Amino acid sequence: MENKIPSYLLQSVNDQPALLKAKGARLSFLDKTIMNSATAVKSIYVQAENASKENFIQRINPHVKLILLIYVVLIISIVGHPEAQLIITAFIFPLYIIARLKIFEVYKKIFFLATIFGFIVVLPASLNIITPGKIIFNIVTINKPLHFWIYTIPQNIGFTENGFKVVALIFLRILNSVSFAMLIVFTTSFPSFIKSFKILGVPDTFLMIISLAYKYIFILSRTIEETYFALKSRLSGNIKNKRIRELISGRIFFIFKKSMIIYESTYYAMVSRGYQGKVLLHSQKKLTAIDFVTLIIVVALGILIIYL
Amino acid sequence: MHIPDGYLSPQTYIPLFGVFVSVAAVAVKKVKDEVSARNIPYLGMAAAFSFIIMMFNLPVPGGTTGHAVGSAVIAIIFGPWAAMLAVSVALIIQALVFGDGGITAIGANCFNMAIFMPFTAYYIFKLLSKNTTGKSRISFAAFISGYLSLVMAAILTAVEFGIQPLIASTPDGKALYCPYDLSIAIPAMAIEHMLLFGIVEGIITAIIVNYFLKTEPTLIYAFRNRGKNE
Repeated sequence: MENKIPSYLLQSVNDQPALLKAKGARLSFLDKTIMNSATAVKSIYVQAENASKENFIQRINPHVKLILLIYVVLIISIVGHPEAQLIITAFIFPLYIIARLKIFEVYKKIFFLATIFGFIVVLPASLNIITPGKIIFNIVTINKPLHFWIYTIPQNIGFTENGFKVVALIFLRILNSVSFAMLIVFTTSFPSFIKSFKILGVPDTFLMIISLAYKYIFILSRTIEETYFALKSRLSGNIKNKRIRELISGRIFFIFKKSMIIYESTYYAMVSRGYQGKVLLHSQKKLTAIDFVTLIIVVALGILIIYL
Repeated sequence: MHIPDGYLSPQTYIPLFGVFVSVAAVAVKKVKDEVSARNIPYLGMAAAFSFIIMMFNLPVPGGTTGHAVGSAVIAIIFGPWAAMLAVSVALIIQALVFGDGGITAIGANCFNMAIFMPFTAYYIFKLLSKNTTGKSRISFAAFISGYLSLVMAAILTAVEFGIQPLIASTPDGKALYCPYDLSIAIPAMAIEHMLLFGIVEGIITAIIVNYFLKTEPTLIYAFRNRGKNE
């Protein structure tokens, strides 16, 4: 998984010729399933490729990165001023340049998530119906306030200053959390990142399950892609709902059986290597001076942000 | 259903994380007793399968497609304790690698979709399919378990959202986290899950259980453990 990313994986999922829309909306479930599996495969490839780069952030010890991730996400979660969140945004962005990640690609996803959950979903909260306060932009005025059951609609409906602050705070909080989490994930090899959870007291058994699941997801996503392409090449015209349900449940059952076979093979491979039911993950490389300096700087900045 | 970062206050996500860790510790012990040394690759497979289930889209009325959360069908096939671990691992990987669900909200998401939903689905299914081998009765039980467990989990999520303005606001009443109180969060989440997502979850649960029943019923945990006290 540490090879250079194949060129077809760098294409947008929608641009790939094999993923051109199926004829008719009734077959769009095929495209969506292929797209989901292709996205999973691509994400795992891209993550592995970025993590293998030899830049400053990639070289930081995974233990330190895990501590920083938890610390920074907690700071982002408790900071209650949009201005302080903006400072955090300005701190995270240059880290992407240092890590030499594809900024446009990654921020496209970050802004997509932040726009949906931090703006579109939260925008109605900027109205005085939800966040009372001084109206700075009136939308509509009705004859008199309306009351029904537990709800009240005021006479003037509009956006409030407090409402905009709430939206700005939640938007920036989601933006910062997602961007910092992605920075850490994209610059750390997933298996070593998962192993670093040992320092939090997470049992080796649980970590091994996560590592195996991660590998199985990659293998099974490829299988779904292949079986769905095969299915798509054979289907045409109007298919009855009953047939569609049979096809999908058949594919799911096939994937289940395939995962059972993979699990059995993995188990026997583990037994042949001396596995007797207990797992002990090897410890990772030791901390360096750079790790300590990074930790101290970020912790100090976090404390500073809280007291701003 | 995946709660992102920024919606829940530390007063909510820290206790929910504590509950998740405690239940996960019990689940690891329970599953170890059931599947012995095979538990690690078995649970890894179950986790991958529960992640994969979400990729399968199904046409829904109105010309669009939908996918299931999968917790109900995973609980029926693997049993509630294994499902708890499998869905948790899938949710952790989703949050860390794919950005679906927040890091601070991992405990809350696991509580809703990996603890509450599989256990609710499993026991509803057991109750409705008791002492029956009839295909239509089992399909009905699977549909209802998928439908109700998702709707109830959505309402639980809405309660977590809706208490935020009550427990975490500025002195002048400005929300610091999810701004919608219970009177808005509960109807919004309940209606969309009752009318659309719950039906998709129910249909997918029913068709998968049906297929397993027709092909290899011994693979279904809920049937293997009939009559046992759990």
